[in-house]
Amino acid sequence: MSNSWRFISTIAKKEIIEFVRDWRTLLALIVIPLLIFPALFIALPLLLQSEAAELDALDLEVVWQGQINDELQLAFNESNLLFTYEEMPTGIENLSDIGDDDERLRLQEVSAIFRLTEDGNASSWKFSILFLSTSEASNEARNRILNAITIWESGVVNGTIVEAGLDPETTLDPVTWDGDINETDAATKGEQAGLVLSLFIPMVIAIWTASSAIQPSIDMTAGERERGTLEALLCLPCTRMQLLAGKWLAVATITSTGVALQIGGLLFAISYLASSSVIGVPAISIASAILLLGAVVIFAIMVVAFELALAMKAHSVKEAGSLLGPAVLFIIFPALFTQVLNLDSIEEWWFAIPLVNILLAMRELLLDRVITEHVVIWVATSIFYAGLAAWFAARQFNREDLVASIS
Amino acid sequence: MNKPLLTLTGVAKRFDEVEALTHVDLDINSGQVIGLVGGNGAGKTTLLRLMAGVMEPTMGTILFEGKKVSTMRSKLGVVPESTGLYSRLTAWENIRYHSRMYGVPDDIAWNRVSHFSNRLDLTDALSRHTKGFSRGMRQKTALLRALAHGPDILLLDEPTAGLDVTSARTVRSLVGKLRDEGGTVIYSTHHLAEAQQVCDRIVIVHNGTIRADGSPTQLLEQTGKDNLEDAYVALTSDKARARKEDNKKEGKMSKWWRRLLTGRTPNNEEVGEDE
Repeated sequence: MSNSWRFISTIAKKEIIEFVRDWRTLLALIVIPLLIFPALFIALPLLLQSEAAELDALDLEVVWQGQINDELQLAFNESNLLFTYEEMPTGIENLSDIGDDDERLRLQEVSAIFRLTEDGNASSWKFSILFLSTSEASNEARNRILNAITIWESGVVNGTIVEAGLDPETTLDPVTWDGDINETDAATKGEQAGLVLSLFIPMVIAIWTASSAIQPSIDMTAGERERGTLEALLCLPCTRMQLLAGKWLAVATITSTGVALQIGGLLFAISYLASSSVIGVPAISIASAILLLGAVVIFAIMVVAFELALAMKAHSVKEAGSLLGPAVLFIIFPALFTQVLNLDSIEEWWFAIPLVNILLAMRELLLDRVITEHVVIWVATSIFYAGLAAWFAARQFNREDLVASIS
Repeated sequence: MNKPLLTLTGVAKRFDEVEALTHVDLDINSGQVIGLVGGNGAGKTTLLRLMAGVMEPTMGTILFEGKKVSTMRSKLGVVPESTGLYSRLTAWENIRYHSRMYGVPDDIAWNRVSHFSNRLDLTDALSRHTKGFSRGMRQKTALLRALAHGPDILLLDEPTAGLDVTSARTVRSLVGKLRDEGGTVIYSTHHLAEAQQVCDRIVIVHNGTIRADGSPTQLLEQTGKDNLEDAYVALTSDKARARKEDNKKEGKMSKWWRRLLTGRTPNNEEVGEDE
């Protein structure tokens, strides 16, 4: 084992041991990323579903003002609406004029007020529903009334068409799709899976790498300075570059574990929600897979080195936090921005913009698009930017005042 | 006479506007315990850091056995003032981390540590996390860590600062034993009595210069005083400067903002200019 690797691996191993012995950090950087998407995509919809079911089972009180229609009453049969019938109020300009009825709605004495009147020629009707948009029960009552009206209206329309001697299906829907719509997509299931994943994976990698590297970066640099452990470390026979490399390896390992777990959680959540025909293993070539891995590694080198450098620049943990918090926005914004770019007609210069280039590359590669010009540009520029970040970090680690300012 | 282990020739160190050390010439011979004595801000810690190879001198050379000291750090054992222990590691893990960095196999490091930990009465604490350690235990662990790889020179920065009487005595006793076994120790302290008790040779540092260098007897002869305290006062009679850290530069914006949000004193005086 070479001396260099011995130094780097010993430093990284020690940092990781210290990291896993702090359960709070472990929880924040490993357990939460694993659970966040399943919680968001599985637990939240389940909660919403149960809330919706609860609302669905509620009996809601509605006031019916104006004329009664027997067919419409039939449509209300299974709607769990309890009607009280009243005369149409006087002095209103039209059915939507809330008049004196707003108080009853505001006090939630009734969930909604349904107004119905027959038009003069007896073949059409006018209605309105007065409701309170800030009340869930009122919104629910409004939706149930609208559903019943749609059913009733459909019956009225179909009856009129039949009376005229026409077929309702061909009259209302004269242009129809023939066959199974799902069979018309030339993209394979694997390619479709790649498209779905390309909407999530680059963003997750970017945001989580940037945010989860903050805490270990600060702890291993400014934290060491503040706790007074850095001076003893600098007295060891390793170079500052080996020290930087060891710490980089530790932060990158912790961060990539968090990212891998988050992606795992995301895939689990998506596969749980959607049928297996929608999401599956993306069909990407070996070249795409290798380039994808390379993109992730270069991205991690760049982000972790940048954050380590900024944290080392700070004189305290507090200062490091103030520096890194806003700095991470410079990574998160491009990540969000990149998601909306159209890949089909994208100009090549996009692949030279820092951060955007790697994220675009990940999207393309998940779609199994290996476009030589794009690959050459993003690989060359990303290596340059990663080198720049490493150089910046090296400068910070070589500063003499790292020792001088900690006593 | 033996060739010196560590040689400092014309060493100067400057931090921005502050001349931390000026023209330091020192030869450190094997088998000696050398005390660096001086007040706060005298330059002792800077001198130790230069000797430890973690800082480069602005002028002059520091050679360990004829080679640049920064390339010979594996021959040195350093205990900084802050001790620098990781609280989530046990005492032994702290020591093992450093000894692995020096390329010392764990069993050899353990044997060395066991040898010294008995003397320091720390054997039972080696398997404990250092989080709850007292200042004395931390200092002893840092000493063991610095000794585990068998260094040629041990550099100790104020090793008894903040220790209780018993712990300070144990540390001094260990240094004495190391000297008896032929070890070389550079020991920084601002307690003259302690230096007199432990060291063969005392180097008085004041305002970044070496004011005296010799055995306690030589210092008394040099100053014509009856005791070392009077000798020290005579050698350091000029006003001591502020510590380098106290002169740390602050950006204009930071300074303006800090002053803007600083209230008046009870006698309604405005915030004065920073010195």
